[in-house]
Amino acid sequence: MAVSSVSRAKRKVNWLPWLLLLGIAVIIIGRIIYLYSLDPRFNTAFFLRAFIESVKLGSLYALIALGYTMVYGIIRLINFAHGEVFMVGAFMTYFFFTFTPYPWFISAIYAAIIAYGSMRVLEFFRGSMRDPLVLAAGGVIFIGLTVLVSSITFPFWLALICSMIFTGVLGIVIDRVAYFPLRTAPRNSLLITAIAVSFLLQNLGLLVFTNRQTPFRPDTPLIQPLQLTVGNGQVFSNWLLLAIPLITAILVVVLTLFVNRTRLGKAMRASAQDAETAQMMGVSVNKVIATTFLLGSMLAAAGGAMWGLNFGSLNQPAILGILPGIKAFSAAVIGGIGSLPGAVIGAIIIGFLENFTTAIFPKTATFQGVTEFKDTFAFILLIIVLLVRPSGIVGEDLSEKV
Amino acid sequence: MGERSNVAEREKLLELKKVTTHYGPIRVLTDVDMVIYPGEMVCLLGGNASGKSTTLKTILGIVKVSEGEMYFRGERADQLSTAERIERGMAVVPENRRIFSKMTVLENLEMGAYLRDDKKGIKEDMDYVFELFPRVKERLHQKGGTMSGGEQQMLAMGRALMSRPKLILMDEPSMGLAPLFVERIFEIIKQVNERGISVFVVEQNANVALSIADRGYVLQTGEVVLSGPAKELLNNEAMKKAYLGEV
Repeated sequence: MAVSSVSRAKRKVNWLPWLLLLGIAVIIIGRIIYLYSLDPRFNTAFFLRAFIESVKLGSLYALIALGYTMVYGIIRLINFAHGEVFMVGAFMTYFFFTFTPYPWFISAIYAAIIAYGSMRVLEFFRGSMRDPLVLAAGGVIFIGLTVLVSSITFPFWLALICSMIFTGVLGIVIDRVAYFPLRTAPRNSLLITAIAVSFLLQNLGLLVFTNRQTPFRPDTPLIQPLQLTVGNGQVFSNWLLLAIPLITAILVVVLTLFVNRTRLGKAMRASAQDAETAQMMGVSVNKVIATTFLLGSMLAAAGGAMWGLNFGSLNQPAILGILPGIKAFSAAVIGGIGSLPGAVIGAIIIGFLENFTTAIFPKTATFQGVTEFKDTFAFILLIIVLLVRPSGIVGEDLSEKV
Repeated sequence: MGERSNVAEREKLLELKKVTTHYGPIRVLTDVDMVIYPGEMVCLLGGNASGKSTTLKTILGIVKVSEGEMYFRGERADQLSTAERIERGMAVVPENRRIFSKMTVLENLEMGAYLRDDKKGIKEDMDYVFELFPRVKERLHQKGGTMSGGEQQMLAMGRALMSRPKLILMDEPSMGLAPLFVERIFEIIKQVNERGISVFVVEQNANVALSIADRGYVLQTGEVVLSGPAKELLNNEAMKKAYLGEV
């Protein structure tokens, strides 16, 4: 008796979130049908644009979410500093394509971080930081970058690549300085450290990039206007509408190939499943973790650069990374944290939820609330998913680990 | 593999000299002396919590030596990283198999050859593994986790062989397997050993292990209490009482 009543009570709890999900789906689909059939302004072209815009926004979140999910997969850490890594990536892109308004000593700080990170990477191959070759390489990189960064303006694509490299190295430095010493510490210490790193980067960003709205208008064909005729309607936008999903798709495919086909990629997957056994096969787990931070941060930098392009300006550095970071984290959890396809799926879902709902409930007196609350949709979905399926959409059972 | 009367003069493959290890402040191994000669099969026996698995992890470098010395192929090895030890010819079949369950059987085997670059040699060794374990070849593109316990044990052994090791370390290969499978696994261990690869088996199943090993060590609360040729251990009175289950 007691057993059956418990199980019935359990089932009862699970009804509510499903109902909520169903309710949301019915409202959205009903609204689309209503608009499409009654209002001539909401024609095929409108919905096509809303659709692609949603994929675009989802792509931006996906680029950030991949970093969360990869790092979690390997060291079981929710890297709260990842949103700030994204912020640095965005500002660094700006920094590379604009003639720098910053004094030389700030370039020197960047150069020092890159040089230090490169030396840490070289350390893997040469064995020691004090190796003359490593020291020499560090010095050359430091001086070269200081001169280069404070004097040259790059085209956008090169700025993007430079920013990805810089941010990737920053990821390795963060791991090495903040997380590496805590490898065997309890997980909570690591989490608190991650929050501390996040605050540190926010305030460093504030100090270096200054607290102002930064225009983000590089000289690139991607922001040229784009006009498409669909049926009896037209889509007015810019090339970013197609470029952002495309670039994201390319990066995701490259990442998937890397993880599935290369030796280091296989070592990554093996370490994610069972780090100790991977070590017993000869995998250097620290090298794998460094690679993970490198890739995750590079993707976040790409996301940041395209975020800047998409919105035309960058907000204050102290807060730029917070909201996208937390939404991307929600996306990773919704998709199933630790899973690469899961992160992409979760991010696209959030992109749709956020963009599609604001498109079909335009900001009029009646629906003001919907637009104002668009930031909360990701978190509502997060709560529902955590209630219904805590392991996420494609994640396996959390109790699997033997 | 015959008599070993002249062991003292032979080159040693692995040697532990008064090795002590700690988990934090707790001492797990105390002054462990151990030798493995090339081509030999040695088993390490002992009850629960006697330090068997720790000995294996110490040899591999997962647990650090706090006092004492370790030599592998004539080289001081206790400061080497796990990867460096594996590069020099160690391989492991871990406790509970620990295969990568979400990777395919082929990828598991490739992980075994992680530190190797010679494609031709890897291919040869893979063919050898397929010859030893035809079942593994049948399941090549299946996820490791979908195989039965016995098949997983075969895969774990195949994975260890993929690094073309000089010394294979096995942690409880019989654990959780049906008696018929235990026999089969030990038969294969013997075959592998006959190819000249030294085998170091940690076992609780003392009867089976001693029946095919050359020599054995018995561990009790982190100390070697008994060692000698396997036949002697099988007939040792204290041994019989404590581990072999005879009255």
